[in-house]
Amino acid sequence: MAKRADTLAGSLELLILKTLARAPNHGFGIALHIEDASDGLLLLEEGSLYPALHRLEREKLISGSWQTTENARRAKVYKLTEAGSERLREIEKQWTGTARGVQKVLSFA
Amino acid sequence: MKRLLRWLRQRLLPQEDWREEMESHLAMRQEWSERVNGASKGAASSDAHRRFGSRVRAMESLREQYWAHAVQDFVQDIRYALRGWRRQPAVVLAVSGTLVLGIGSATGIFSIVDPLLFRPLPYPHGEQLASVGFMGPVDTHEFMFGNFYLNWKRDQTAFSAMTAMRPSTQCEVVTNQTMQTPCTRVEWNFLRTLGTPPAMGRDFTPAEDRPNAPLSVLISYRFWQSAFGGQRDALGQVLEVDGHKARVIGILSRNFTMPQLGDLDLLLPAQIDPVAARAPGATVFLRAFARLKPGVTFEQARQRIWPLFRQSLKEVPAELRSEVHLMVQSLRDRQIQEAKKASWLLLAAVMLLLAMACVNVINLLLARSEARREEFAMRTALGAGRGRLLRQALTESLLFALPGGVVGVGTAALLVWALKQQATAGFLRLESVQINTRVFLFALAASVLCALLTGLLPALTHLRAQALRGWRTVAGGRNWFRHSLIALQIAFSLLLSTGAILFMSTLIHLESEATGFRPEQLVAATVNASRTPYSTNEKLAAFHNELERRLREIPGTRRFAMSDSIPPAGGVHVRPVSNILVANHQRVAENGGLAAFRYVTPGYFGTMGIALRSGRDFRESERTGTESSIVLSDLLAKKLFPNENPLGQSVALEGAGSPWLTVIGVAANVKNNGLETPESPEYYRVRMKTGMQLGHSDTAVFRTHLTTAQLERWVARQVAAIDPAATVKMAVLAETLRTLNDRPRFLAMVMGVFAAASLLLAGVGLFGVISYLVTSRTRELGVRAALGATRKNLVVLVQSRIMGWVALGMAVGMLGVLGMQRLVSSLLFGVSAADPRPLLAAVGTMMIVAALASWYPSLRAARVDPALSLRTE
Repeated sequence: MAKRADTLAGSLELLILKTLARAPNHGFGIALHIEDASDGLLLLEEGSLYPALHRLEREKLISGSWQTTENARRAKVYKLTEAGSERLREIEKQWTGTARGVQKVLSFA
Repeated sequence: MKRLLRWLRQRLLPQEDWREEMESHLAMRQEWSERVNGASKGAASSDAHRRFGSRVRAMESLREQYWAHAVQDFVQDIRYALRGWRRQPAVVLAVSGTLVLGIGSATGIFSIVDPLLFRPLPYPHGEQLASVGFMGPVDTHEFMFGNFYLNWKRDQTAFSAMTAMRPSTQCEVVTNQTMQTPCTRVEWNFLRTLGTPPAMGRDFTPAEDRPNAPLSVLISYRFWQSAFGGQRDALGQVLEVDGHKARVIGILSRNFTMPQLGDLDLLLPAQIDPVAARAPGATVFLRAFARLKPGVTFEQARQRIWPLFRQSLKEVPAELRSEVHLMVQSLRDRQIQEAKKASWLLLAAVMLLLAMACVNVINLLLARSEARREEFAMRTALGAGRGRLLRQALTESLLFALPGGVVGVGTAALLVWALKQQATAGFLRLESVQINTRVFLFALAASVLCALLTGLLPALTHLRAQALRGWRTVAGGRNWFRHSLIALQIAFSLLLSTGAILFMSTLIHLESEATGFRPEQLVAATVNASRTPYSTNEKLAAFHNELERRLREIPGTRRFAMSDSIPPAGGVHVRPVSNILVANHQRVAENGGLAAFRYVTPGYFGTMGIALRSGRDFRESERTGTESSIVLSDLLAKKLFPNENPLGQSVALEGAGSPWLTVIGVAANVKNNGLETPESPEYYRVRMKTGMQLGHSDTAVFRTHLTTAQLERWVARQVAAIDPAATVKMAVLAETLRTLNDRPRFLAMVMGVFAAASLLLAGVGLFGVISYLVTSRTRELGVRAALGATRKNLVVLVQSRIMGWVALGMAVGMLGVLGMQRLVSSLLFGVSAADPRPLLAAVGTMMIVAALASWYPSLRAARVDPALSLRTE
């Protein structure tokens, strides 16, 4: 069942940071990766990426720069910063902990 | 310039970047769709947009991360509002006009009452300063005598400092010229207690306050400028003050004011001799001021002084004790005595008026936003949040109100100017009114408050409607809000109208109050010869007799008399009634009150127009030899001789051993205690040629056809011939009486204006609401008409909807009036606080206004054409 990513408000940050941890990317690329990596389980409203991206950029967790892509198109490409990978580690730990806890409750007989 | 702005905008809100980013995202998605899924251009494009979601929402989210977006929104709101205004100039004019008048008059009244009620006194911690003393029939303000003052100062525990001043007088000062200036003698710690040291030089020392010490003097800023040209070498110079040499030791600061608000140029040490002040019979008359200890309230201070007061009271003659009270009041209260209640009243009334103006504006804006319902619905559908719409409503309200505030300050200045032209506003001390920062702040606060009320309320009631439900013509439950506002307006208007009627009847009663004498054509000349020391009683007697002889000769005058004081003022002298011995009768009880008395010439009663109830006037023959006759006032005669004829009876005025006087006449009562308080008992003694009874001043009364100017010239000439240093002051009795009524006249006028304005506002509001009712229910009325309702039925239908609220408003207003009456009763005269007639009159007026206001809209309701109305859907 496809979930809209804006109901997982805080987790959007997590997804973005994780995506960028693999490699720098632009907004479209991030959306594509999330869709791909989640096997279509997560379908974002792609517009909602941009407020999140800018918020992360202002908090200096990622840094963006305008570049020209292969198709001679201008796109803003984001890269994870030191502080960003710190934050990623923290959120990831929190998230997996929560997820495991929820899973345990659900499977409690 | 444009480039600078664009650069700035880009830095603060990089919207271009975002747009580009999002465009590029969409383009990439579209490409990917075409390439990977083989979709057509159109399908790929719509797919990309669908996946992206609302670009507008994304932009909004992005914008809200930056504070500058609020500024941009604000500017946008302003332009939006102005566009809307251009389409509806009538409403805009009505709203602005109402707000300008409301805020303007509120600001004006505030600027007037602020110096009286709120503005801090020009002394550090001025709220701790108190005026202390005895309140008694001797004077209008509290006072002290030297011996009591010295005792209290020594023994008191309520104050951190206590100081005193002697009443201000005129001194003769010689610098390089001779002139008369106001000067006051004060204790050495006077300025210290007030907390206002001299701006230059130094303050007095205790040594300089000792009797016979060499005189030092502090001069005012004004005197420093005029007499010394503002030169620093003024310090240390020696002046001659009333014949004594005085050295200038300091210069007072520019805005120094005396606590009793008197005029001042010179400050000298009082040099009270403690021994002399305590001698029996000494009367060193003082005004005392003090500074409360921190944390002590006025009430607590009063309780701490009370034992000292009771101790002092023992030295007051027994028959006077009940007339004397302890007064410990704040300096502000002392300064604003007559104006205090009136100021609060004016402020309350104008705030009511402002509230009514805001209510009218709310109604206007409500009607307007009803009409813009579809517009709001559209904007909500396009993504505007409730917060956004609210902000826009608020911005528009601010646009209405802030100019209102600015113009309001101008209106305030105009109002103050207009009132200054009004002589009757004198009691408000308009000279101290300034249009200053505080006034601006008040105007700003009033504007913002009005904007909040008039912006938020309509917007909030409308946003509750769901977005696109806006096409119904009947607004159901929302109307109760507007109708309750009307009820509120009716209540306020009733309050103001009743108040106005109460004050107007007070004025009428005061003006028709019998004074006991006939003031027409009466002019009084008061001669003051205190400059000249008449060293012996004979010299003084000669002065008075010569004065009388000369003034009696005046041409063109029908009647002439002299007295040491004239009504409506009280007597210069008072005596406890219980002191008066009546032959073969019991004394009057000790708390029988005080009787005033005057020394008059024969012909006084005829000149003043005071009727003689029985007996006769004094004769010239009774003025030589021993004093043998007395005339009583009606009130006194009834007190002393309740059941018998006073004529021919004997009284002794100063108790046992004093000469017996025969009562030769009883005069009608005369107002001698102000117009609003009952008159005191009074008696008249004839002026003996020996002149021993009189002081340094005297009053001549003329019933004359001459103009005051002519009379003054003539009198001055005669007086100068006897004593060139004496001063003459003229008073026209009719005017004196009129100025006594200044405050009631002013209040009646202003409250009348407020009441009229409130009735207008209420009427306009009612008119608006009923009109709206008719318009919004046109279809319903049409249906009813088609089904057979008569015109009368329709009118009744419309009216009945609203009259319930009007009645509620009246009821609330009546409750308010009952509550208010107790508060204003001290300002009224001749009409009791509980009198229902003013209220009924106000209710009647209100009903007439309501009828007028509803007449036209009801007519329109009656004329509804069913066919036409059913078509407007």
